[in-house]
Amino acid sequence: MTLTLAILTWALPLASAIVPWVGTRARGTGIAVAAGGAGSLAAAITLAARIVSGHPLKLLGGLVYVDSLSAFFVVTVALVVTLAGWGSYSYLRAEEERGELSPLQVRLYGTFFAAFAALMLAALQTGNLGLLWVLVEASTLASAVLVALEARATSLEAAWKYIIISSFGVTIALVGTLFVYYSATSLHLSPDQRLTWPALFAHASVLQAPSLRLAFLLVLIGYGTKVGLAPMHTWLPDAHSEAPSPASAMLSAALLNTGMYAIIRIQALTTPELGRYANDVLLIFGFASVLIGALFMIGCENFKRLFAYSSIEHMGLIAVGLGFGGVIGIYGALLLTLNHAIGKSVLFLTSGEVVLRYRTRDASEVRGLLQVAPLTGLVLLLGTLAILGSPPFGVFLSEFTIVRASFAGQASWLGFVLLPLLVVAFVAFARTTLGMVFGSRQGRAAGLASGSPLVGAVPLVAGLGLLLVLGVWIPGGLNELILHSMRSIT
Amino acid sequence: MTQATSPDTILLNLASVLILLCAFACLGSKLFDRYLGYYALQSVLLSAAAAIVAEKLDSPALWALAVLTLLIKGLGIPVATRRYLVARLSLKRDAAITLGLSTSLIIGAGLTALAYFAMRPATLPGPLLDTAAVPLAMAVVLLGGLCMVVRRHTIAQLLGWLIVENGAFLGAITLVATFPFIVEAGIFLDLVAGVLIMLALVSGLAQRLASASASDLRRLKG
Repeated sequence: MTLTLAILTWALPLASAIVPWVGTRARGTGIAVAAGGAGSLAAAITLAARIVSGHPLKLLGGLVYVDSLSAFFVVTVALVVTLAGWGSYSYLRAEEERGELSPLQVRLYGTFFAAFAALMLAALQTGNLGLLWVLVEASTLASAVLVALEARATSLEAAWKYIIISSFGVTIALVGTLFVYYSATSLHLSPDQRLTWPALFAHASVLQAPSLRLAFLLVLIGYGTKVGLAPMHTWLPDAHSEAPSPASAMLSAALLNTGMYAIIRIQALTTPELGRYANDVLLIFGFASVLIGALFMIGCENFKRLFAYSSIEHMGLIAVGLGFGGVIGIYGALLLTLNHAIGKSVLFLTSGEVVLRYRTRDASEVRGLLQVAPLTGLVLLLGTLAILGSPPFGVFLSEFTIVRASFAGQASWLGFVLLPLLVVAFVAFARTTLGMVFGSRQGRAAGLASGSPLVGAVPLVAGLGLLLVLGVWIPGGLNELILHSMRSIT
Repeated sequence: MTQATSPDTILLNLASVLILLCAFACLGSKLFDRYLGYYALQSVLLSAAAAIVAEKLDSPALWALAVLTLLIKGLGIPVATRRYLVARLSLKRDAAITLGLSTSLIIGAGLTALAYFAMRPATLPGPLLDTAAVPLAMAVVLLGGLCMVVRRHTIAQLLGWLIVENGAFLGAITLVATFPFIVEAGIFLDLVAGVLIMLALVSGLAQRLASASASDLRRLKG
């Protein structure tokens, strides 16, 4: 039963890949993608509940391995797939009506969106580090097609940068995985088990330290490229700004988290032998990312790029939370993972509505959104406040927890360094988006965004509602899930 | 240390050195045909190295990998790239190199030394199949990365990535003999799918930009 649920989480999105090839156009494809996401989310939540109350699922010598940490990330990614899938419906309908997308492009979108979602969800449910690598690299390839989908010169350029930089990075992660495998050669494990996370974790205190140290560095640089940790982040703003908006949401809110998941797994292996080594490295990369993200947000006029830099900043914060470690640090990092995923999905889907309406990604050409499209404007306003960590939204609670973790540890001054950076990010981000929301209506406010604006608004309102709930109340089940996740890696 | 005198080890070391030299040759060349030729040669040598290890360990999975390497990397990828891109776009000389050839060769030599320093046997204790090949593999990875950084043409960058991948593969077969076969097969699938998508992207870029050089890819900034 648990296995069936685990398979359903990725098989349902994958099944929706067939629909575009049996004749239906944008409408059918959109519905299929959204339904696949919703089904996956339902399966993921049930799966998480079973894992938390029972045992980790381990089959085929660890090729299938789902513990609470996997379940937490599966729920997060499935939630993003659901929101982005619903957003895809509006996107595909609107672009097809305008004649911007050919039937082939609609089909490619449906297929690769489904494959992308399924590969990420499957990657989170394998205990085999080699298979994890294979699935992560495959998800890069599938998402590169989405980035290139609109076939402008700029989107091809972004897709090229994305695929070549990410593939290079991920190959470095493969070398890192090699050294993880090698660090276990002196153990009496079968070759398969030497690459299997639960077996490695059980023997973590007897792995070879020098090889493990090298492995962690390589894996962090490799998967860090996917996460968008500075200085390996250069592909990220391009790909996020050029991809269709629902795909941007998937990149930012699901793909980056999948990379972070891989890093967390390897970090857990290093703790017994290397102590705080991995934490310190994570702190360095995390702070660099928060700094880069915050600085590049200043004066960034392309609002999708702005959101992308905000993703870099948040991934940096998550790395910082993991780097602080301890119960509070990891709790904050995981909570931020979930909240950032929801918030950024909402923002990118909103940006999609704005792009459809104004046909520009330039924030200075968008004014008075509250008058032109009250609902989109309101969501953008609230989404901005949410993602920047204003109370009462969930991101505030998670960022607060991470900063608190620094005061709980020895290095409390790091918390004081973090706060001004967050302020810079807040001002830079809000200055641009508030300019879009308020101001007087002018310029080229084009007609309707999509055939059915109400349908397009559903994922936005749902996401915002969730963020608000998570800001004031963490449901008992979620709390259990996060605590269990921490227990499974410490 | 393993016995350096066993013929397997000598052959494997020889193959690894030649693989490194191919990476250097690629770094020091300016013609697209040469890039492809050196990559193909490197892949054939890699396949030979895999065959040597397979013979020594008597591993059918590794034999299969050696054959796959020969067919896909030694033959399929270079031929497809030449026919569908280099010949069709009539590319000859790579004009988009940001660094002089001799400078990049010197940097390459430095990276090789760095690889030796980082991977010296003292930092990597334990039973290795062959100690000499691991730093060489790491050097190939670094040289491939250098190719990608120095060259701005998309095809040259693609080949740089393929060299990195070859280095990782050499590291895999000499360091741990083999990953579980399902993983190796997955890596191959990813490689083939990746090359196909990249070839499609490059030809799309060539249509849009009239040249597929990444030095023209400068619209996205900030």
